[in-house]
Amino acid sequence: MASLCGRVAVSSVRKNVLCTSYRFASKVTMGDPIEHATGLEKRELLAKAAGNENPFDLKVIKRGPGTKAQPNEIPSAFDARLVGCVCEEDSTSVNWMWLHKGQARRCECGHWFNLVHKAPV
Amino acid sequence: MSNKNHPYHLVDASPWPILASLSALILMSGIIKWFHFYNHSLLMIGFTSMLLIMFQWWRDISREATLQGLHTYTVTMGMRWGMILFITSEVFFFISFFWSFFHNSLAPAIELGMNWPPKGIMTFNPIQIPLLNTLILLTSGITVTWAHHSLMENNYKQSTQGLMMTVILGLYFSLLQGYEYFESSFSISDAAYGSSFFVATGFHGIHVIIGTTFLAVCMARHMKNHFSQIHHFGFEAAAWYWHFVDVVWLFLYISIYWWGS
Repeated sequence: MASLCGRVAVSSVRKNVLCTSYRFASKVTMGDPIEHATGLEKRELLAKAAGNENPFDLKVIKRGPGTKAQPNEIPSAFDARLVGCVCEEDSTSVNWMWLHKGQARRCECGHWFNLVHKAPV
Repeated sequence: MSNKNHPYHLVDASPWPILASLSALILMSGIIKWFHFYNHSLLMIGFTSMLLIMFQWWRDISREATLQGLHTYTVTMGMRWGMILFITSEVFFFISFFWSFFHNSLAPAIELGMNWPPKGIMTFNPIQIPLLNTLILLTSGITVTWAHHSLMENNYKQSTQGLMMTVILGLYFSLLQGYEYFESSFSISDAAYGSSFFVATGFHGIHVIIGTTFLAVCMARHMKNHFSQIHHFGFEAAAWYWHFVDVVWLFLYISIYWWGS
């Protein structure tokens, strides 16, 4: 048992000393920041590197004609999205409503909205 | 998860909030028991459980950030605001001690001999250890900035060195402050001077210990390659906290150690 503990201690010390001395011997970086990231953080960084500054579609969308034939298209990767319509330019409040996939919806001010599927980044 | 297309971090169920609350209850009861019966058994249980929970909660957070990639730009902005608001609340915490110090010192009561420092109090010489401590904290502000710029330059070696020196300077400050307390000719029970001196410098000392621990955790994480050139908010939060502790010391030094002596 004592020799086992001794071996574990010696090997871990040797590993750490060698590893540290290697790191200090040459110019060592933490690697490429995009390679360093993972998961959603990496997907966001890759989207931005590809020129997409709005990967989660959170910025305000300027309203188009918004008629029944040409509704405002709201991107979403989900089945529904909360949409806030600024009905008039000087409006002091935002009118919120749930917009579901496949069901175009009209705001009380008359503008139409439609949910369009957008693949996740 | 792959269908997720929003930048927010919806956290998983975790045992730490309820366990931290219960251990805070034990810790507070332990402090009361200590004050009233001079027995610290319950305090030690509360303190130990709190330390274990803090370790595991923050371990989970660093795993979420580094290994699960859940900290997007939006999430880090939330943490930035959280840290700014937390440090602001800490500023006001210290303002209250300075308020009581100036309340007592600017118009000393008849019980203090209408003098500040009060009659009979032998204060510390501000140009001895306190001045050295000022120099140590100012230097540590430089080394932590060196570590930060090395991180931003993707320089592993120099950021390790800068962090190491900052942690060593933090430990050295605590050591000297402990020595000063040990040598002190007055105690926290010595009227308005002792109370305001030890409450203000004592809380500052605890903040130095917390800040040093925070920086040491950052150094351990950096050596495990948790930080990248563009994503190292854990380190930045520790550096902000360290600068805050540094600035509080400058005010303590100027008002309590220097003007107040």
